Amino acid sequence: MSFWSQAIEIARVDLRVERRLGDTMRIVLPFAVVALLIFPLTLGVDLTAVSRLGPAVFWALGILFGMQVALRQAAHDDRERRDLYALLGVDPAARFAGRTISGAVLMTGFLAVLLVAMIVLYSPRLPDGWLGPVVLSSVLVAIGLTELGTLAGEVTAGLNNRTALASLIVAPLALPLVIGASQTLEALARDASILPWVLVLVATDLALAVAGVGLARPLEEASR
Amino acid sequence: MTRVKVLLAVAALAMAIGLWFALTAPTDALQGDFTRIINIHAPSMWLAFLAFGVTALGSAMWLIRKHNRWDRLAEASAELGVMFTAIGLFTGMVWGKAVWGRAWDWGDARLATSAVMFFVYVGYLALRAATPDPIERARRSAILGVIAVIQVPLVYFSVNLFRTLHQTQSIRPDGATMPQEMAIAILVNVIAYTILYVALLVARIDVAKAEERVANEDALAGDTVKPPRLSEVKDV
Amino acid sequence: MDRLIDLSQIGVSLGGMPVLRGIDLSLGPGDSLGVTGPNGVGKTTLLRVLATLLAPAIGSGSVLGAGLGTPAVYDVRSRIGLLSHRPSVIPELTLEENLRHAAALVGASYEKVAKALRVVGLDDVAARRGEVSSFGMLRRAEVARLLITAPRVLLLDEPFTSLDVEAQELIGALVTRTTSDGGAVVMVSHEAGQLASHTSRLLSMSLGHLEQQP
Repeated sequence: MSFWSQAIEIARVDLRVERRLGDTMRIVLPFAVVALLIFPLTLGVDLTAVSRLGPAVFWALGILFGMQVALRQAAHDDRERRDLYALLGVDPAARFAGRTISGAVLMTGFLAVLLVAMIVLYSPRLPDGWLGPVVLSSVLVAIGLTELGTLAGEVTAGLNNRTALASLIVAPLALPLVIGASQTLEALARDASILPWVLVLVATDLALAVAGVGLARPLEEASR
Repeated sequence: MTRVKVLLAVAALAMAIGLWFALTAPTDALQGDFTRIINIHAPSMWLAFLAFGVTALGSAMWLIRKHNRWDRLAEASAELGVMFTAIGLFTGMVWGKAVWGRAWDWGDARLATSAVMFFVYVGYLALRAATPDPIERARRSAILGVIAVIQVPLVYFSVNLFRTLHQTQSIRPDGATMPQEMAIAILVNVIAYTILYVALLVARIDVAKAEERVANEDALAGDTVKPPRLSEVKDV
Repeated sequence: MDRLIDLSQIGVSLGGMPVLRGIDLSLGPGDSLGVTGPNGVGKTTLLRVLATLLAPAIGSGSVLGAGLGTPAVYDVRSRIGLLSHRPSVIPELTLEENLRHAAALVGASYEKVAKALRVVGLDDVAARRGEVSSFGMLRRAEVARLLITAPRVLLLDEPFTSLDVEAQELIGALVTRTTSDGGAVVMVSHEAGQLASHTSRLLSMSLGHLEQQP
């Protein structure tokens, strides 16, 4: 089977497992929406400030909870599963690509629902033409965060406190994604070009893709 | 299934009557036809609280009696509660956005409590879905069901206090200034929705019983593993 | 390629502790080897080295012509089959879906999946998810997967544990098929008696070394 065929087959099964387990949509997403609900109450601010904070809170929670979406597959990857894929001749780089595809699909859906929830709860004043740039930056964040989560999952495979450790690794490295995404909307609001910020997101995604594919084999060896 | 069909037929009739009342009741002078949403919003929220109360009752009774019927009741009612809360929240947001320009009112303690309740029971259902063993599932969700019902009033009071301290106003009209015809329409719809809830509850419990029957049949699956065909191994 | 497995003075450490030392092993087409020894002596580690999943720290070796610890192992892994101590089945998928997934990844047809399920006796329960299948059913599903992938080197870790007679016979048939097709089999177990009836040679493992069975 070719590289991309393997990747797509792994993504397909990954999404089927997620549909049955429902980790992302039934657990992580409601959790993230509760956080959206709690935030204004803990701040105790007026409604105008809540409106202004909406997009920032969306991206912050999107990244923080999105990490859990990105790391969920790593949680299911025990030694027997990894050996199985290795002995079925699956290229570790194809496995990385497949995980990225499935994770990005899930994460995009997750961010889309979270965005709707934020708009409803915070009533933010969004600039004209916001939908396209926000969708684009959400997709790019989804890809980048999934790549980071997959890499962090590989690096921490088999270790104690793996999930917490992987989250700690992902959070600071996700900063370019947070900045690129939040500043895209800010630039739009100021009538400035969004291109630099989109390029930050694209560059981050590409760098992580190259790292993921290039380091896939050493990572797999290190995890044994 | 016959009693379910009868109940659903009665519910359909009651909903039709409720709809007629909703469409013919007077409206608020300022809000116009948007007022009619209250005939969906208010009954849904009432049913949500009722449903979660029934879940709490089922949970407590399971912990005392350990009989399956209470777990089935708790589960079915929680599912309906989540559905009615979602309808109530959605209609409330549509109403708020249409009339006051804001879908969400941070000053409304009932709204915030309902939203919290929605997620508590989403978590309840997620816990059930994640627990394969039926006894463990019943036990864990019964414990959560009891904890949730203790916690929800505390959520209401704390959010209400928050509202008082931050001096935000509830923007939803209370019943005090409502014309009598409007109040009657709401009451008729509350009754209609309650009948619908009972019908759906009975139907859902019947489905749960059927699921248990199928699961018990599956448990004998060791019998359906056939002897291997050793002579055909080389032909695969 | 004369030897399917060729190890010379292999040593492996795990977590800083030496587990295998001075392992010499050579198997050709049609060979079957049983390795016995008490729990914790390194039998599973030996199998994982043979599966190319663990690179040796000391010594050299090859499996199916690929040097251990070199990138060449990626080209031969799909021709190695491993039946681990714990079943490696995706629990959220049905038994049939698990096999179809494996078949898709190795380029085998779905007809083969149906045939394999029938041969191992799981055709009536193929729609059962892994998470609600018994250990015996999962083992049979793994045998079905190995029938589909038809490995040249077959490695089995305590394969008969907790299995009924029919399932044990099935594993025996898998071993026979592999060796008669020119492959090699290595089976480990703490019970020497089980190994003797399924392999042509028996070694015992002690303190990380392989020795002739007394």
